[in-house]
Amino acid sequence: MSLLKLHATPNRTTAWLLSWLLFAGGVTSYFYVAEQRHKDNPDDRVMPTATQMIKAFQDATLKPAEEDNADDDAAPAPLFTRVRSSMLWKDTIATGRRFLISIALLFPAVLLGLHMAMFPYIGAFFLRFIQFFDKIVALSLLPILFIAFGIDELSKIMLIVIGVTPTIILDTFNLSKGVPREQIVKAFTLGAADFAVTYRIVFKQILPRVLNSIRLNLKAVMLFLFAGEMIASTDGLAYRIALLRRHMGMDTIIPYVLWVALLLFLVDLTMHAFNRKLHPWFQE
Amino acid sequence: MLGRLLFSNFRKIFCSLLLCLIAAASVQRTLVAQQKPSFTVGWSVYVGWDPYYYMAKSGLLRKWADKYGIDIRVQRFDYAPSLDAFVAKNIDACAMTNMEALDMPAAAGVDTTSVILGDYSNGNDAVITRQNLSLAQIPGKPVMLVEKTVSQYLFERAMTLNGLSGQIKQVKYINTSDSDIAYAFLADTSKPVVVTWKPLVSQIMKAKDVKMVFNSSQIPGEIMDLLVVRTEVLNRSDGSGQKFAKAVAGAWYELMGAMEQNGPAGDKVLSGIAEASKDSLVSYKEQLSTTHMFYTPQSAAQMTSSPDIKKTMDLVRQFCFSHGLLGEKTKSADDIGIQFTDGSVLGNSGKVRLRFNNTFMQLASQGKL
Repeated sequence: MSLLKLHATPNRTTAWLLSWLLFAGGVTSYFYVAEQRHKDNPDDRVMPTATQMIKAFQDATLKPAEEDNADDDAAPAPLFTRVRSSMLWKDTIATGRRFLISIALLFPAVLLGLHMAMFPYIGAFFLRFIQFFDKIVALSLLPILFIAFGIDELSKIMLIVIGVTPTIILDTFNLSKGVPREQIVKAFTLGAADFAVTYRIVFKQILPRVLNSIRLNLKAVMLFLFAGEMIASTDGLAYRIALLRRHMGMDTIIPYVLWVALLLFLVDLTMHAFNRKLHPWFQE
Repeated sequence: MLGRLLFSNFRKIFCSLLLCLIAAASVQRTLVAQQKPSFTVGWSVYVGWDPYYYMAKSGLLRKWADKYGIDIRVQRFDYAPSLDAFVAKNIDACAMTNMEALDMPAAAGVDTTSVILGDYSNGNDAVITRQNLSLAQIPGKPVMLVEKTVSQYLFERAMTLNGLSGQIKQVKYINTSDSDIAYAFLADTSKPVVVTWKPLVSQIMKAKDVKMVFNSSQIPGEIMDLLVVRTEVLNRSDGSGQKFAKAVAGAWYELMGAMEQNGPAGDKVLSGIAEASKDSLVSYKEQLSTTHMFYTPQSAAQMTSSPDIKKTMDLVRQFCFSHGLLGEKTKSADDIGIQFTDGSVLGNSGKVRLRFNNTFMQLASQGKL
């Protein structure tokens, strides 16, 4: 049995098959149990079958959201306009907008972390507070967030900012501190100024790692965003899921969850590709 | 050194662990075999359901369960998860409103029987506005509520009763989680209307410049709080389901009797119940004042078999259907059958999923439990 040895080398096909085995197992056991439950109770909503989910997903992508007044007698619109006015599209746009704003707000955090590491006075001013702030469970402060930012967009974005930026700041801080001192000294002897050292020596080196750190935090961003949307909102992917849970619309919820996973995966992939393109020298 | 010791003993440790596991599993199995039939009741914090907690804590339920030779566990949930647990058949009985009994378990194909009618909301649910806004001024403005629940039902009934049903579509709902709705409304003064229930209503009413424009005492008997049991559990062939319903009903009405007494004896019970929701006696009494409790089994049984309940359930099912709460597959409000105590069925009689049963309340009133 050399299968479980350190030196075992599965060939391409085996490795590919192995990597899909758990997916296959998960999907089969789901549909097996769903089938059983439907035999027992044809109206079961907890575990919808594939046809139900496909139907629900079609409705979500092709029919307008229920809060919009649909013109039933209107002529069938072309596919593109139907998708554009659909529930899924509307929710995705609303959530995507919040998501992108939050991601954009993470970049100032990176700069703050960098400056904290490079300039001792700035570091002394911020570090202790941010270390403390990092441990605060943002969700438990919601009532205060509501008072400060209302219950509209701002409070949702602030929830993400409070939840995720301290991690990013501290991570950037540590990465910047990790750049060998010798390089900085060398840069100074070669005549670099403060900002040249900060941006052209340190920042350049840590940027690929920082991007990776943001990638790792995408899920946290999404989690806070979902929490915010479930608490109070009028649109968004999590809003829809919260509503559907009220009457167990699992046939729509499961495709929605998969859709969110796919979107997150794509964002992650794009950032990864971008990182590679930008920093071809970086070895992960 | 330690590592090597551990490694050499690894086999021994592993084997003995395995033996322990096997032994534990077999002991567990024999224990299970000897156990009495066991049932679980789920409840969530609400004035009319808090008594379940006290019933279990005070030993009252134990007494009745022992009488019928069964085990009953009482478990607290948040409201929505309690419904999920009931539909997923993790619990046997659950406290819920008549509306949720229809749009959650019944619509999901779980045949459900209401065995106890505990109370109806007689002012617990309310529409509250700021700046002296009246119902007629609400269209076009944002309204905070938990969408697709009794709150939205109450709001739309309020609009309908005031001849504003045509303008309901112009109202913009903001779906707000019930755990945060009071803070959210109080903190954000740009939102003029909120619909919610007690004790949140009491908190909100303490603020300045707010006014209650409609509450559930104006639609008495429409928001009912039930204890529902899965019909298959109730009809178990060994009769244990019937015993379960009898034991719960027995304990419930004994407690109702104790709650109703005046003076310190009653107060002691009420403060025990208030503790379930970490509430005070004063606040609990205030909530009771806007809850029409059915303290006697006679009154509950009478309400359950009254013709009014048919009208109510018709309104509720129309609301549920027009808001898509009965599911995509449901083509008409008639798809799901609701059976009443006289045997008549509202909707599809071939697919009865919600049954009102007053057997156990009647048995209690005749002292036959």
